[in-house]
Amino acid sequence: MNILPIILAAVLSNNFVLIQFLGICPFLGVSQKVDSALGMGIAVTFVMVLTCLVTYPIYNYVLVPLGLAYLEIIVFIFVIASLVQILEMVLKKFIPALYSSMGIYLPLITTNCAILGVAELVLTETLVTGLFEAVLYGLFAGVGFTLAIVLLAGLREKLDKLPLAKCLKGFPATMIASCFMAMAFYAFSLI
Amino acid sequence: MLNYILAFAEGGVTIQWNIVGLSVAVMAGMAVVLGAVILLVNKFCHVETDPKIDEIYENLPHANCGGCGYAGCSDFAKALAEGKVPATKCGQLKGDSVAKIASILGVEIADEGPTVTVIACCGGNKANDKFEYQGYCDCQYENMLSGGRKACSTACLGDGNCKAVCPENCIEIVDGCAVVNTDLCTSCGVCHGACPKSLMERIPSTAHYYVACSSKCRGKDVMGQCKVGCIACGLCARNCPNGAITMVDNLPKIDYSKCTNCGICASKCPRKCILSTKKD
Repeated sequence: MNILPIILAAVLSNNFVLIQFLGICPFLGVSQKVDSALGMGIAVTFVMVLTCLVTYPIYNYVLVPLGLAYLEIIVFIFVIASLVQILEMVLKKFIPALYSSMGIYLPLITTNCAILGVAELVLTETLVTGLFEAVLYGLFAGVGFTLAIVLLAGLREKLDKLPLAKCLKGFPATMIASCFMAMAFYAFSLI
Repeated sequence: MLNYILAFAEGGVTIQWNIVGLSVAVMAGMAVVLGAVILLVNKFCHVETDPKIDEIYENLPHANCGGCGYAGCSDFAKALAEGKVPATKCGQLKGDSVAKIASILGVEIADEGPTVTVIACCGGNKANDKFEYQGYCDCQYENMLSGGRKACSTACLGDGNCKAVCPENCIEIVDGCAVVNTDLCTSCGVCHGACPKSLMERIPSTAHYYVACSSKCRGKDVMGQCKVGCIACGLCARNCPNGAITMVDNLPKIDYSKCTNCGICASKCPRKCILSTKKD
């Protein structure tokens, strides 16, 4: 079993946001506050797990045997969109508290590139050999996303309080901070 | 790509219909399965919403203008059902709809009658400029530059932000000043938020006359800023036969419950800044 390498790869050395530059939109958009960043991170993790759980078998047991592997992107978009729809309805019915805290983020991430990215990358990742590893990969890709977005949100909360020059205040400072974060995470991929 | 299309046109490419059929079958199969699952989940997980929301929604104008500050009429209906806002927040609601919504909610709402929006400035090109503005033609932008080019701090800048947002297209810029066509105005309130000077005011739609100036400066100062601004002479207040006009902060204030639309105030005004909404 190569559980530890998968965890390390998904969270640190191949971090979805800071190394692969996927899901930049929520990364910069929902990172004003740590609370909302955490909510977004949990929602993304949830959908990533679900995505891997469903798209990995569909690819390996439906598309590949039929020789239709090139349909993967359109099929994945299709499946993920429906899944999020179903998930939203189920949450609304059974866990309304979670729905009201996470519900607004769910439709937002339906077509997010990080989600489609995890569905694609889990197929090419050499460490992943079965469904269990695929789900694990999805889970920790989400954890890596949450880590990055929560770290940036914490930095932004501090940056807002600093007496920065007017031309740097707000978004420019955020871009510079995320640049340094990406450089720091790049060190992990050198190990 | 071009070669492929040419070859296709010459019949050099054979379409593998079995693969096309297979792809279509897979996609269609997934569509059916996912559609069925969504349908089932929707049936089992249907959440009962407050029936009051639908009833209230039926009585709203369905204009989705956003003037109430909510994202459309259905959002406003939800807020109404939860008792967060009064129905009067919607400027487009007409008398009987207000009464119906009040009875659904079981509350009393004072019916103030329909209103229209007017712009409390008639300066435009008759108001003096303090500098030449050459920036972007947008009231918000111009206002950021020392409150705009007008010498009067409460003058219409005439860049037309209100005209741009008006869902009924009833605002026009005439001689550099915004004018509302009150026959078309639904008093939705969208323009109220668009004006950086907050010059919009609501008056009853039955009223004919309104004060088209917002300057609270003394008469002498207004004289130097604008050719038509109110100089607070008080002639209108003294000549009103019904005592409907009082002077507040160097501006006349019309009490529309007493106003009979006689028009004496407008004819007596030496600056002609009490205007009529009705065209002669």
